[in-house]
Amino acid sequence: MKLARHPRLDALCGEYLVGTMRGRARRRFERALKEEPFVAARLATWQRTFAPRPSDQMRIQPHPGTWRRLESDLGLARYREPWWRRVGLWRVWATAATAALVIVAGMEFQRFEAPRQLVEVAKLGTKEQPGTVTASLSADRALLELRSARPIEAGPAQSYELWLIPKEGGAPLSLAVLGRLDARLVVPEGHRARLQAGATFAVSVEPAGGSPTGAPTGPVILTGAIQS
Amino acid sequence: MLDDQEIKRLLLRAAARDDGAADAFSRLYRLTASLVLGVAQRVVGRRELAEEVLHDTFVKVWNAAGTFDPLANQPVAWMVAIARNRALDLVASADHARVESVSDLAGEDDSDDVLDRFFDWSDAAAGADEAEDLRRARGFLRRCLGELAAVERQVLVLAYHHGMSHGDLAAHLAKPLGTVKTWMRRGMENLRACVEHCMDPRGAVKGGR
Repeated sequence: MKLARHPRLDALCGEYLVGTMRGRARRRFERALKEEPFVAARLATWQRTFAPRPSDQMRIQPHPGTWRRLESDLGLARYREPWWRRVGLWRVWATAATAALVIVAGMEFQRFEAPRQLVEVAKLGTKEQPGTVTASLSADRALLELRSARPIEAGPAQSYELWLIPKEGGAPLSLAVLGRLDARLVVPEGHRARLQAGATFAVSVEPAGGSPTGAPTGPVILTGAIQS
Repeated sequence: MLDDQEIKRLLLRAAARDDGAADAFSRLYRLTASLVLGVAQRVVGRRELAEEVLHDTFVKVWNAAGTFDPLANQPVAWMVAIARNRALDLVASADHARVESVSDLAGEDDSDDVLDRFFDWSDAAAGADEAEDLRRARGFLRRCLGELAAVERQVLVLAYHHGMSHGDLAAHLAKPLGTVKTWMRRGMENLRACVEHCMDPRGAVKGGR
């Protein structure tokens, strides 16, 4: 039977909107909405009358996993601008130049300072190769030195970024953007107090100039906890 | 407060499926997901099912964004309707789970209180250029809900807000199924007549079919 001629079409629209129409009846009604323009028009009239807006008190913060699942199920990465176009090449260049300047400034600063005693505080590596890179620190935690047993250099389109994961957890803090894992650098003043036993160093591979987001985006190749 | 114009713009941007589509969709999610989840949670009563509804709703929104009518003025209502449909499907297929959560409504039985806490009737809720008749209809709806008999209002609110079926309502209110169905039918009919009368006081006499 055509629903358009149903004597209680209005009641059906109401039950559909309120939600008491269930199961087979609901599916039949939805079929009619597609096939019978009169039914669709009648429902549209009802919808204009009966469209309460949920208030902000209804809101419940979703689990972060739900968005991650959506992102992968829908393949959203395909519809995203590549990072280098989004950031703009000039900014990549500017970031890289700034990073270079910071390193140079650090070296200049070094030259005028009396040599300081550095103490090894961590070994960075993978599970298979635990001690690939050693990290040493000055007593005032202002100078950090990375030494690798063999040269580890980033490719032309990449940088390594050194992160500190604080002892109390939380987001990784960027310490430096490096072309090779053989470097001496000045630790940003705000991060010095966090260089303590229990905190962890991590090195990730990032686009040249460092992470465009301020958080690690590429694979983490080395980690190591600070021992003392 | 959600701006319907902004939501509409994001939907169209997502439908374009270009380089900016994913960013628009993720912004749409940030703005509306907690609302969709809240609506779903009330209906299905269980958090893991509600997250399931949220996921399925946004899959549908992504796939159907292209068919959303840009002239339609209620994109949020459109998304909420998708979520409610999915949630009602789920509870229909898991009726036993429903009964448990229904008994868990402490403090949400006062239908007037629910209406004013969980729904937004203010003019500010509308987008800047929401059609005048929609704005007016919302005011009439609130007024007419207030004029219904208390039992009629209660069954309507419980069914809409908590996704209760006729059977759930009968069990929850400890009344015969027939009584509940009558309240519901009368409530809907009185509501429709009242809103139509408010919209067009002269034409209401010939209202109905």
